[in-house]
Amino acid sequence: MKHLTLVATASVAALATSIAHAEPLRIGIIESLSGAQTSTGRLYANAVKYGVDRINEAGGFNGEPVVVTEYDNAGGAPEAADKFRQAVADGVDIIVQGASSAIAGQLTEDVRKHNIRNPGDEILFMNLGGEAMELTGDKCQFYHFRFTTTAPMRVNALTSAMKEAGDLGTKVYAINQNYSWGQDMQAAIEAAAPEEGYEVVGEVLHDVNKIQDFAPFVARIKSAAPDTVITGNWSNDLLLLMKATGDAGLDVTFATAFLDQPGNIANAGKTALGHYIANNYDNAAGDGTFAETYRQATGHLPIFVEGHSAFAMAQLQEALKGLDFAGGPINVTEIALALENSTYDSPVGPISIRKEDHQSIRPVVVSKVVENPKFPAEGTTLGFAPVKIVEGKDAIYPVQESCEMDRPEG
Amino acid sequence: MEFAIISTLNGVTYGLLLFMVSAGLTLIFGMMGVLNFAHASFYMLGAYVAYAISPIIGFWAALVIAPLFVGLVGMGVERYLLPRVHKHGHAHELLLTFGLALIIEELIKLFFGDFPVNYQMPAELRFSAFTIFGTDYPFYRLFIGGVAVVMFTTLWLLLTRTRTGIVVRAAERLPHMAEALGHNIPLVFMFVFGTGAALAGLAGAVAGAFYPTNPNMGIELGVIVFVVVVVGGLGSLKGSLLASLLIGLFSSFAVGLDWSLASLLSLVGLGD
Repeated sequence: MKHLTLVATASVAALATSIAHAEPLRIGIIESLSGAQTSTGRLYANAVKYGVDRINEAGGFNGEPVVVTEYDNAGGAPEAADKFRQAVADGVDIIVQGASSAIAGQLTEDVRKHNIRNPGDEILFMNLGGEAMELTGDKCQFYHFRFTTTAPMRVNALTSAMKEAGDLGTKVYAINQNYSWGQDMQAAIEAAAPEEGYEVVGEVLHDVNKIQDFAPFVARIKSAAPDTVITGNWSNDLLLLMKATGDAGLDVTFATAFLDQPGNIANAGKTALGHYIANNYDNAAGDGTFAETYRQATGHLPIFVEGHSAFAMAQLQEALKGLDFAGGPINVTEIALALENSTYDSPVGPISIRKEDHQSIRPVVVSKVVENPKFPAEGTTLGFAPVKIVEGKDAIYPVQESCEMDRPEG
Repeated sequence: MEFAIISTLNGVTYGLLLFMVSAGLTLIFGMMGVLNFAHASFYMLGAYVAYAISPIIGFWAALVIAPLFVGLVGMGVERYLLPRVHKHGHAHELLLTFGLALIIEELIKLFFGDFPVNYQMPAELRFSAFTIFGTDYPFYRLFIGGVAVVMFTTLWLLLTRTRTGIVVRAAERLPHMAEALGHNIPLVFMFVFGTGAALAGLAGAVAGAFYPTNPNMGIELGVIVFVVVVVGGLGSLKGSLLASLLIGLFSSFAVGLDWSLASLLSLVGLGD
């Protein structure tokens, strides 16, 4: 009898505490945590966790720590759709993804459908790395926010900064991967030609991460005799291309988007010297405070995509500051509205959201590979030195006409 | 002319690299009939082992030790894993080796991380062999090709001109007959599998220093080497050499020629 009383008291006590607990904000990271894109997916997840830890250190949200859950999409869109359903079942309010545009395309459609079918129980999609133009074009929607650059932002920043530095030349060769991102890059390179005064002397779109030998492409580049090669290639496609060019003794400057991917600089060695990159953030471009804080929390300096992903979470933190649900249910639409009006002062400049298509208006950092930089890349004497920080208002491009956003009523 | 010569050179060296990887698979798949999906993983394993030990024992010694190590792994697989599923047929062997490929990939990531490692060729090999039409041709490409040629010659002589070769061919053609004549067939199979794996390991150790050594290098080559073995004819060493060269040349020339079906149709007035 005594035992039964004890159990009864315990369960009443448990019930009481669960009532006292407010509803936590739940964030789901649906990321490529196994398979070929693990290296990138893991970095996004690291940075999101770092950002959430900062929110929780400052007292969390809605009276509770923010809960973050990882879902492994194994690098594929169908798996991502499965994991999205699982996240919905777990009551996630915000989903985050960065490693793939294709997966971002799947998730933004899933979110749109979910929100139509479940009014009052919406889900917000924070896109940290899907750069395909269609995500803020054809597929643009109120609950999708892009916290990274797109092809025109990178290309315009690259070409204008390189022209100022006198490294651009007048003949440009475009070599890109044959899918949405590479095609966007090629279109952006063509579009920027008249303004920056260069001629596109050759264009190639090739298979994505299937080519083992870039020597034939180098032969083509050589016969076009460009001053600069602009490429959106990432991973092996960039490394092999640079190595093949270096081996052939071809003297061109590479203008890239993903040269800061870990392993690239070390593998390319001296071949990489003098090449350019345009990205969201570089440690050498800030004053070093953020880099040091990040290192203390995670054990390493922010690399590759970690910087800008941490900024996205910090921007969410800014937006949440103005909201108070008094421990009640989380209203995702209000979070989205607050995000629209938020501005985050990142180490390289302010980041805000364009209301028409939810593309972030953000600075673009253009850097160059030099010897003995402030932050050398893994085990080398090489690294990036900032050349120019293009401010958000100069880097941004017009809203795409294909974007027709349905805003929530009221 | 310039294009043709450079493309041919590139195509031949790439073809020879493909041959290096697929030679082992020809032995295993073509002769023993084992669908070894993990073959390209052996290639990756060779590159990583060579990367790990070359700072200690030097590049050249690593080129010897890495294939031996991978060969031993291969023998272990043939000895302890494959017999368990052999009686269930090809599908089970395929599933087993597919699982093995995943395990090797994840183990590599566990020990060496997700990113490409910095496995470099020694400085004394980093020079240009000759200059053709103003473009330097790296010596290491010729080195890769040379290793492949030596590998082909040795294997071919071994299989056709020696007593060991006769036993191996007999064991693969008529295993029961060869066994009845007093040859230890399981041992022969184990050594053939080990040699096949070791060849892939050697290819990885040589090519990993030129192409980036990363956890995806196995997946990237995995499919194409099966194509080589099938196009070349199962179990035919000469066939797989020919198929490798063919695929190498084809991919090299295809890159340079911007022809499409649409431009062909525009000849008869169907263009845009």
